[in-house]
Amino acid sequence: MQTAHTVEHAHTADHSHVHGHDEHHHEETFLTKYIFSQDHKMISKQFLVTGIFWGIVGGLLSVLFRLQLGWPNETFPFLETFLGKWAEGGKITNEFYYALVTMHGTILVFFVLTGGLSGTFANLLIPYQIGARDMASPFMNMLSYWFFFSASVVMLFSFFIQTGPASGGWTAYPPLNGLRDTGVNLGSGLGFDLWILGMSLFIVSSLLGGLNYVATVLNQRTKGMSMWKLPLTMWALMFTAVIGILSFPALLAGCLLLEFDRLLDTSFYLNNIVINGQLLGYKGGSPILFQHLFWFLGHPEVYIIILPAMGLVSEVLSIHSRKPIFGYKAMVLSIVAILVLSFIVWAHHMFVTGLNPNLGAIFTLFTLLIAIPSAIKVFNWIGTLWKGNIRLSSAALFAIGFVSMFITGGLTGIILGNSAIDIQLHDTMFVVAHFHIVMGVAAFFGMFAGVYHWFPRLYGRFMNETLGQIHFYITLIGAYAIFFPMHFMTGLPRRYYTYANFESFNNFNHLAAFISVAAIIVFLGQLIFVVNFFYSIFNGRKVKGEKAADGYEYANPWGATTIEWSAPVDRLHGNWPGEIPTVHRWPYDYALKDREFIPQTEPLKPGEVENH
Amino acid sequence: MDALLPDKKFLKERTEYTGIHPQKFALWLGMASMAMFFAALTSALLVKKGDFRVWESFSLPTVFAFSTAAVVSVSVLMYLSLRSYRNAQFNTFRWLLLASFVMGLVFLVLQYMGWQKLNEMGLPITGNISGQFVYVVSAAHGLHIVAGLVVTLIFLIQAFRSRRDPIFELRNIINPKRQLNMEMLAAFWHFIDGVWVYLYIFLLLNYQ
Repeated sequence: MQTAHTVEHAHTADHSHVHGHDEHHHEETFLTKYIFSQDHKMISKQFLVTGIFWGIVGGLLSVLFRLQLGWPNETFPFLETFLGKWAEGGKITNEFYYALVTMHGTILVFFVLTGGLSGTFANLLIPYQIGARDMASPFMNMLSYWFFFSASVVMLFSFFIQTGPASGGWTAYPPLNGLRDTGVNLGSGLGFDLWILGMSLFIVSSLLGGLNYVATVLNQRTKGMSMWKLPLTMWALMFTAVIGILSFPALLAGCLLLEFDRLLDTSFYLNNIVINGQLLGYKGGSPILFQHLFWFLGHPEVYIIILPAMGLVSEVLSIHSRKPIFGYKAMVLSIVAILVLSFIVWAHHMFVTGLNPNLGAIFTLFTLLIAIPSAIKVFNWIGTLWKGNIRLSSAALFAIGFVSMFITGGLTGIILGNSAIDIQLHDTMFVVAHFHIVMGVAAFFGMFAGVYHWFPRLYGRFMNETLGQIHFYITLIGAYAIFFPMHFMTGLPRRYYTYANFESFNNFNHLAAFISVAAIIVFLGQLIFVVNFFYSIFNGRKVKGEKAADGYEYANPWGATTIEWSAPVDRLHGNWPGEIPTVHRWPYDYALKDREFIPQTEPLKPGEVENH
Repeated sequence: MDALLPDKKFLKERTEYTGIHPQKFALWLGMASMAMFFAALTSALLVKKGDFRVWESFSLPTVFAFSTAAVVSVSVLMYLSLRSYRNAQFNTFRWLLLASFVMGLVFLVLQYMGWQKLNEMGLPITGNISGQFVYVVSAAHGLHIVAGLVVTLIFLIQAFRSRRDPIFELRNIINPKRQLNMEMLAAFWHFIDGVWVYLYIFLLLNYQ
């Protein structure tokens, strides 16, 4: 299969002329191998494990505030044991409730579905699938993780300070978050300063990672790997990084102005603020300015979350239904269309800010246009499954679940994108249902599909299939049980601590309790995944392959065409012991007349026409 | 001496696709990102300027013209420094690098004097929003200059330390990684100097 080279040989052949000989002959210590690793596979694992940690924390926070929403009149004495003054008498305080909602959003949007998702799969798959020894700059890649880690430490630390973590919403709107001492919101103090610091570190991490991902995909491809031979995962992860590179700076600028307001008493966002009957000196600022800067990132951010999931799902669906992806080029062009449109729709989050209705109409138009590439993608996923020889493994189930969730959530997006209807639905549970299904749950499904599918690549073992299927059905049914009823809680405002003062909302009490029960079950269901994941790292069924002449074991457990499986089961530094394989064909040669599939590394037969 | 210098092809690893070293390419992407950052800040300024009820215009202190000259000189010195590095004129290279470092510091001092001047003009940081923007834009830019200075300082220390040992110096210079880093440092300075020139012209046009 491969020529017999040693690992060392591979380095001298491919790396030495860039790094110099002396760099590659050092012994790996525990510190360089597991902690300050510059190897893309180890960094991927670091991102994944940190992401799982944050997933548990973020999910737990939602369980806590669902207790309050489901049973607003009950007390839960055990809460006081754990949370102390934040749940005096076993009831979550309103102050802490807002902190829970804020941090749940921040953690899941940024730390799990951006850092955890892109960080894990871009690092794992980019070098493997394009045929590179590592990232363009392994050092920058390491920095990217360590900035993510420091951001995590700062965010986690903010839970343990006296005034509690940020509690002014994950969108961090001023003026509530524009002052350190608002007199009403404890979380606007030190907790929010830490939020800004944590987010700034996170943005740096995300940028360092993103620069690397794009540079690597564009420059480091192996011989023969033209852009049109890239698997869809590569297209998705690369364009995700492009969106991040162009939109995160806007949030950084917005946060910079916000911190100036908070610490140096400027008034970019503040104007005629009255606290305790006293007029403060701030003049001329506009809180709407922050919303523009925030949503200029905030909207592209949802595509930063969903595009990697789309890429993973495309790949998993094609492999597990043993068919080429339907409409490969249409899939790539839809990603490009989504990328362009994602930058010109941000004000659809701001229809009720007094936005000029004519401007609102333009943003409505662009927003609805996104339905076209999204529908093309959905059509193509279904087209891929159609008459496929589908293997319903956990990975495939989650990928199919992703398509279901994306359709369900996408349909309500068409409703919310209309400025006239949005005015009625703004900040109600309908919005919560929409975005949780379309980008929260769907992205999680994509991520799970990816983890189950590429676990053998990461650890050389399989995850337990039975537990995977149980995990899937609990999550699918449970997620619908949580979010589907929210569509029908007509007019119920989101983010409220209690609805006790509203007669008209009393009829939702039972539904709210039902949702809370479902949320608790789904949360416990995720622990099955966590146990499965960590158990399988050490005790999962081993990937069995063939020993080649070079002494390494090679395996292609899913019968995939892409070149990450042409590397040995062991994760070597430099990925391939010999030369990097040359690519001859596109990544979707499945279900051919005479063959089940043909790997990308196999040359075209004489007279064979290349597929596109 | 020319024969000792690295062949340009030597620097490349599978770059036939874009023809640039991947790390340099990553730097360019980073510049796109930084450009978006300053675009966001300056467009925020334009939005606020449109609100004529609060915007008090004033003319920019002249000291900013001198700081602009200083930052342009950094770029010129960096260019010359890189050129002498490539031509193996190590001594010239060292002193030019030092000069560009010093001019970078001078720039920061001049920016600080600009802030003081604004303060004297009755535009403290807590004053009118038009003045606040000058502080925040120049401070955000200044942080990038500080980052550039820190990296330049590391290069300077390396350059002067190798002075006493000609063999070490030669190894240092013909190391393609070093040359790449030097080129990237120069590129970063050209970019961040260009950003200030843009910001200065932008502020001049908006404050009259």
